[in-house]
Amino acid sequence: MKKIFLYSSCGLLLMATGCSKFLDKEPDNRAKLSTPEKVSQFLATSYPQANYQGFTETMSDNVEDIGNGGTDLEVSDPYRWLDSRQNQQDSPEFYWQSCYAAIAVTNEALETIAEAGNTTAYKTQRGEALVSRAYAHFMLVSLFSKFYDSATAATDPGIPYVLESEKVVIKQYQRNTVKYVYEMIEKDLVEGLPLLEDKNYSVPKFHWNRAAANAFAARFYLYKGNYAKVIQYASESIPGGAYGPNLRGWNDLTSPYNTITDVTELFKVYSKSTEAANLLLVETSSIWARWFYTERYGVGQAKQTEVYPSTDPLTGGPVAYKRYSISNGSHQLIPKIDEYFVRASVNANFGQPYVMVPLFTVEDVLFNHAEALYYTGNVTGAIALLNTYASRRITNYNATTYNITLAKINTVFPVVATDLGTKRLPSVIQAILAYKRADFVHEGMRWFDVLRYKIQVVHNLKTGGSAVENITLTPNDLRRAIQLPLSALQAGLELNKR
Amino acid sequence: MHVTKLRPTAALIRSALGLLFFLSLSLFQGVQAQVGTQRVAGRVLGEDNKPLGGVSVKIVGTDRGTVTTDDGTFALLLKAGDKVEFSSLGFGSKTITYNSQKSLDVSLTATVGSQLDGVVVTGFQTIDKKKFTGSSVNLKADEIRQPGVVDVSRMLEGRAAGVSVQNVSSTFGSAPKVRIRGATSINGDNKPLWVVDGVVLEDIINISNDQLSSGDPTTLLGSSVAGINSNDIETFDILKDAAATALYGARAMNGVIVITTKKGRSGKTSVNYTGNFTTQLKPMYSEYNIMNSAQQMSVLGELDRKGILTPNILSGANYGVYGKMYDYINTPDANGNFRLINTTEAKAAFLKGYAATNTDWFDLLFKNSLVQEHNISISSGSEKSQSFFSTSLYSDNGWTIADKVKRYTLNFRNNYKFSDKLSAGFLTTASVRQQNAPGALSRVSNPVSGQYDRDFDINPFSYALNSSRTLTAFDANGNREYFRRNYAPFNILTELENNRLKINVIDLKLQGDLSYKFSKHLRYEFIGALRYVKSTREHEITENANMANAYRAADNATMRASNQFLYRDPDNPAAEPVVVLPYGGFYNRAEDQLLNFDFRNSLNYNTTFKDKHDLTVLVGQQVKLTDRQTSSNTGYGYQYDNGGIPFVDYRILKQTIEASFPYYGMSKDFDRFAAFYSNVSYTFDRKYNINVTGRYDGSNRLGASPSARWLPTWTVSGSWNIDQEKFMESARWIDYLKLRGSYGLTASFGPATNSEIVLRSATTNRTIPTDRESVIQLANLENADLTWEKNYQGNIGLDANLFKNRVNMSVDVYNRKSFDLISQIKTPGIGGETYKAANYADMSSHGIDVLIGGTIIKRRDWSWKANITFGYNTTKITNVKNIPLIFDLIQAQGGNTEGYPVNSLFSVQYAGLNHYTGVPQFVAGTYKGGGDSLAADVYFQDQDISHLKYEGSVDPKYTGGINNTFTYKAFSVNIFMTYQAGNKIRLYPAFRTSYSDFDAMPKEFIDRWVMPGDELKTNVPSVVDAYQRYLISGQGAQPYNTYNYSTARVASGDFIRVKNVSLTYNLGSAMLKKWHMNSFAITGVANNPWLIYSDKKLKGQDPEFFNTGGVAQPIQKQFVISLKAGF
Repeated sequence: MKKIFLYSSCGLLLMATGCSKFLDKEPDNRAKLSTPEKVSQFLATSYPQANYQGFTETMSDNVEDIGNGGTDLEVSDPYRWLDSRQNQQDSPEFYWQSCYAAIAVTNEALETIAEAGNTTAYKTQRGEALVSRAYAHFMLVSLFSKFYDSATAATDPGIPYVLESEKVVIKQYQRNTVKYVYEMIEKDLVEGLPLLEDKNYSVPKFHWNRAAANAFAARFYLYKGNYAKVIQYASESIPGGAYGPNLRGWNDLTSPYNTITDVTELFKVYSKSTEAANLLLVETSSIWARWFYTERYGVGQAKQTEVYPSTDPLTGGPVAYKRYSISNGSHQLIPKIDEYFVRASVNANFGQPYVMVPLFTVEDVLFNHAEALYYTGNVTGAIALLNTYASRRITNYNATTYNITLAKINTVFPVVATDLGTKRLPSVIQAILAYKRADFVHEGMRWFDVLRYKIQVVHNLKTGGSAVENITLTPNDLRRAIQLPLSALQAGLELNKR
Repeated sequence: MHVTKLRPTAALIRSALGLLFFLSLSLFQGVQAQVGTQRVAGRVLGEDNKPLGGVSVKIVGTDRGTVTTDDGTFALLLKAGDKVEFSSLGFGSKTITYNSQKSLDVSLTATVGSQLDGVVVTGFQTIDKKKFTGSSVNLKADEIRQPGVVDVSRMLEGRAAGVSVQNVSSTFGSAPKVRIRGATSINGDNKPLWVVDGVVLEDIINISNDQLSSGDPTTLLGSSVAGINSNDIETFDILKDAAATALYGARAMNGVIVITTKKGRSGKTSVNYTGNFTTQLKPMYSEYNIMNSAQQMSVLGELDRKGILTPNILSGANYGVYGKMYDYINTPDANGNFRLINTTEAKAAFLKGYAATNTDWFDLLFKNSLVQEHNISISSGSEKSQSFFSTSLYSDNGWTIADKVKRYTLNFRNNYKFSDKLSAGFLTTASVRQQNAPGALSRVSNPVSGQYDRDFDINPFSYALNSSRTLTAFDANGNREYFRRNYAPFNILTELENNRLKINVIDLKLQGDLSYKFSKHLRYEFIGALRYVKSTREHEITENANMANAYRAADNATMRASNQFLYRDPDNPAAEPVVVLPYGGFYNRAEDQLLNFDFRNSLNYNTTFKDKHDLTVLVGQQVKLTDRQTSSNTGYGYQYDNGGIPFVDYRILKQTIEASFPYYGMSKDFDRFAAFYSNVSYTFDRKYNINVTGRYDGSNRLGASPSARWLPTWTVSGSWNIDQEKFMESARWIDYLKLRGSYGLTASFGPATNSEIVLRSATTNRTIPTDRESVIQLANLENADLTWEKNYQGNIGLDANLFKNRVNMSVDVYNRKSFDLISQIKTPGIGGETYKAANYADMSSHGIDVLIGGTIIKRRDWSWKANITFGYNTTKITNVKNIPLIFDLIQAQGGNTEGYPVNSLFSVQYAGLNHYTGVPQFVAGTYKGGGDSLAADVYFQDQDISHLKYEGSVDPKYTGGINNTFTYKAFSVNIFMTYQAGNKIRLYPAFRTSYSDFDAMPKEFIDRWVMPGDELKTNVPSVVDAYQRYLISGQGAQPYNTYNYSTARVASGDFIRVKNVSLTYNLGSAMLKKWHMNSFAITGVANNPWLIYSDKKLKGQDPEFFNTGGVAQPIQKQFVISLKAGF
């Protein structure tokens, strides 16, 4: 009898030890980050797959109340600088979620790489993860905190800089300071950038290729005010200053912008990966492609004249942008935001809309480079870059007729008369910002300059009939820092002051 | 098991009464000593004078005994004064003192409501009912079998208190919605665990709560018991409370249904045949609320006047009579003559013809088919080995012209007794199913419009209800007549011939068990099973099908521009869409496989000491492995009429890929499960039972992390056999009285599997195919706290048999608290996943189960037995932080939100018709379009649900059945009714902003709003005119679909249904002897003949059925002739 118990308990014990192996089986087809290639595939999702263009563009001074069109909250709340009530596509909260989703990917990848011993086999993957982590935090801190100001950064609340994977349902986080966040971004960026190699990407334009990563570094140091570094990284991004041929060929008669006559096809050209001007693209879940010319708050006739006039005031030449208007001319647009619609099933008439967003472009590097040159005292260099830019924007460009000089700049952008807000900007900077504003219209980039230079923004509100009411975003308005999602309270974060 | 001196092995099947009787005899009479034994033969008969085989015949106080053969005979050496006990499962036992008579003929009576007799089979143990402490229902398959009802899960409807069965679809293979004591989980499974002969029956594919009623092709694999031949089943044991299900531990939360199949019996070889011959009634328009063709034509006339039916419809996707008229007017024949001249008279004459057609689609699409079911079983055996063999054929040639089922089953079971110590059993079951169904695609939920979309739906039932009766299937010359659907010619008869679904299922199970007795007290048992299921679903769409022709419909530029089945080249957006399926149709194939191993080892120790203490200890271990694989493939351009050669235009693949759809897919699912369990039960003085069970389960279902893997569960229970108490001796009218109580923890898998981070492969959604990459996505972050969904259950029950077992009753009161339920919670998103599934939600439920049964009248020739079951259950979600959209709560299957029952139905508040347009209006709360308190519609994806009205749960609060059996001599009549109440039903979505001349309309439309002022008299909205339609669609509003989900479109779910009426004739014993038969019975049955009561608002809509199209069918009215013969 005793023997029987002995045998059976031994048997049970054996099974118990066998059990743990038996139960280690994954419950379904799920991926494992077992090789550098798999980590690469994983990092393809380390880019925030949400679109900031809608709310940043609408908060900026590029838009006005047209009086008719859609009134979706994703657009009408930012227009009034209200804390957004929406949390779906194209809302600040959705962008917040996507940035942190991208960060989670980088942390999981970095942990996997660390477990594998940080070997050279994972070198580029580590680089991509670090730069991605830096970028997502950079965008978050730029939008959800007070914009970087070296004087107050050490006390301004930042955003949680997440360095490890979350393993519990609700975890507590800290905002730290903007200064801390910038230091962490710099650390990740400087460590990650040298590790990148373009040859490791199957679709380089959707990953941190070296040009894009350097463009990011240039922008980061511009925001931080470290102009020497801006020049250094801009030069590495576009080696030899070869901007000219790589700028978007709006005026190039052989480029698709001019060979294509069908507007629906023209929409598709702007964010193509084959376009040399696009350095980094990301696919985002977004309805912006429908809204940017149909919502009530957008580019109307007045703003079109202000932002992208048909005649360039600086050169006096005709601007080559393809301009369209719809709804009896009330809504103005440049065909650049295109929708890729993924149907819910092969024949369904509903599904998910996507927009490919160019995160970094050659134009962006050029403008950042020019600003840095100006601030480091190289005014000629800055103006030379503006001339390079104009050579790709003016129809039938003639270097002599359309040459931009400091004198022209000083005349067109006097320091006093066309004051952008309260802060008086040098004429050259005004010129750069004006070109930049036009180049990135509909793309929300203007908002970052509005933040950076504390430009005052006035939005009109048509309240029926001809009555117009103006609302103003003053240079030190607290609403410039977008409110954190309310749920951030759960994580122990303080909301932005209002 | 439970072997004591007084009750040797066969006492297992001895009834409670027998035991009592024996005890009293032995106490008062003592043992008389007599010499001289003699061989005495006898015969045991049942009530209807049917010989009873397998009856245990035992001389009390000795080890001697025998079992009757199938003709009921036995022989035994007896001496005068021997007390002989006769007992059999399902029959009362009888003890007779032998008085030296020559033969001993005994009749046993079947016990009413067998719940209080015999044993409870839990799948792990077989326990004497008197010692059992849990709440369970034992049903004999013979008593509840409904000829004509093939799926065994449907036989349980109304039979057991607390078990609700809702026939959301009756198509063969689809599962009804079965709940034991209501829901326990919000997002996880709520269906009970099925156990067959001790082995858990795993689902081939897991069909979620919502999918069950979806009508999707996968639902045809939804019933895990579809392969089981009901004639092979001996008993059902429905385990309801924590004590009863304790040994299922972490899978027991939703209750367990244990099926025990028949075994061979020692004795004469017996052969039984059962044949069922069923015919089904066609549905009739008189039962439904659909306009006839004249009424329909008058509405079309209004549509015409309102500018909806203009010649423009020729370029639309669908058209009926009006489209045909314009086509005849516009298209000249070869001679340049128009088939119809464009005059008012000619048009009126044309339309008048169709107004008179009154096509009976039900008549065309349905048949009074014949369903045959044949079953043969052979039982034979000796003391040493027994065998049971059965095989069956079920052949249904279809209620509709599109469906057909054949199922073959085999069941072969052998039990061997090698020695007194060692015995073994082997069981092979197999089933093969071949089924045809109308071709159907999966439906897609469209939260934008608030509808479910199913392309190319040709479900005959929903076609008949939704297609205008002005359409015709045949023209005047008897040729098939075509109208237009999906831009292509359409005739439902042609389509059903050319678009079909073929389902094949092979289900094989091999099972073995082994038992070894180490000693009188200790026994080892092993049970092992292997099950393999393979199913294929072939969707054949021939080149003549409308679905294939839709891909080729490119008659004119308008059609080319609007036909979504044509290919638009993204590289050349200006180009006109082109046909990419020039030849052939589709051959789409889906396969599901299941491989399942289940092994169990256990040791059972049993002892009795000092005659009063009875102790049983069970220790066991279990390992289970289930691998599932599912795959699907789309075959383009298969040419059915052309030798089966595929013609694939590369662009159709390009189209699929560019739309980010793979044209094939395969996925696997692995389930690993290990458990250790122990049960201790102790009985004192046959009065007091205490039972403690502990179980330790491990599974990989939560993910590979060892932290979440193991879960201990436990149950404590006790019972008190009050009738055994001294003070009860005076109460002679009480035969049996037991009070039970149990409390325990049970669990179930939740829907989350992320105890470790979950990564999944995906393809990026990028515009240009060459930019796309295969990537790995972070699907779910690690949740280190992930655990199983759990439930504390308390149950108090009372069982009683009264008046010499004439009446039996059982009452249970229970309370269940579910916690750690998985639900979605919104987090700050800083970890990278904003909406997480976490174990935090709670719900509670409570209810009462009542069973009352009895023999009301019992005379020599006739009797009346009745049985009533009643179940009450309510649930309430006490804590959940999910953020439902309006669309989640207004759908027919209900939704979940805090403070309400599981599956609650909400409605948009209807606020009358617009005075000027007759368009419905609603209380809209904070409608995103503006601040109006009345709005044209609501935004279905809105999270603001404050203005919705709570209607009730879609799950019934009250369920049950009433069974009456009248017997007169050889005849018996059975009437069985089921009822449910306390739930709400969403009416069919009948209203649309735009109608075509293809659609059928409900008769309500006769009372529709026609002119201002009508809104005071009617709630039926107007048929909008073209201008109003333009305005409404211009705003993106959908007032009519919102109306479908409004308070105006809800009905009560209460109903009483006569489920089954049958008349049986049993052949008398004289005749049987003459024909050398053991038994012969003939039964006539009517299934679902009469829905006695249901809400008038339903207007013919079946309160159980969700008319979702696809492969769904409502329950049918059937008439069955059933023959049973035993040899």
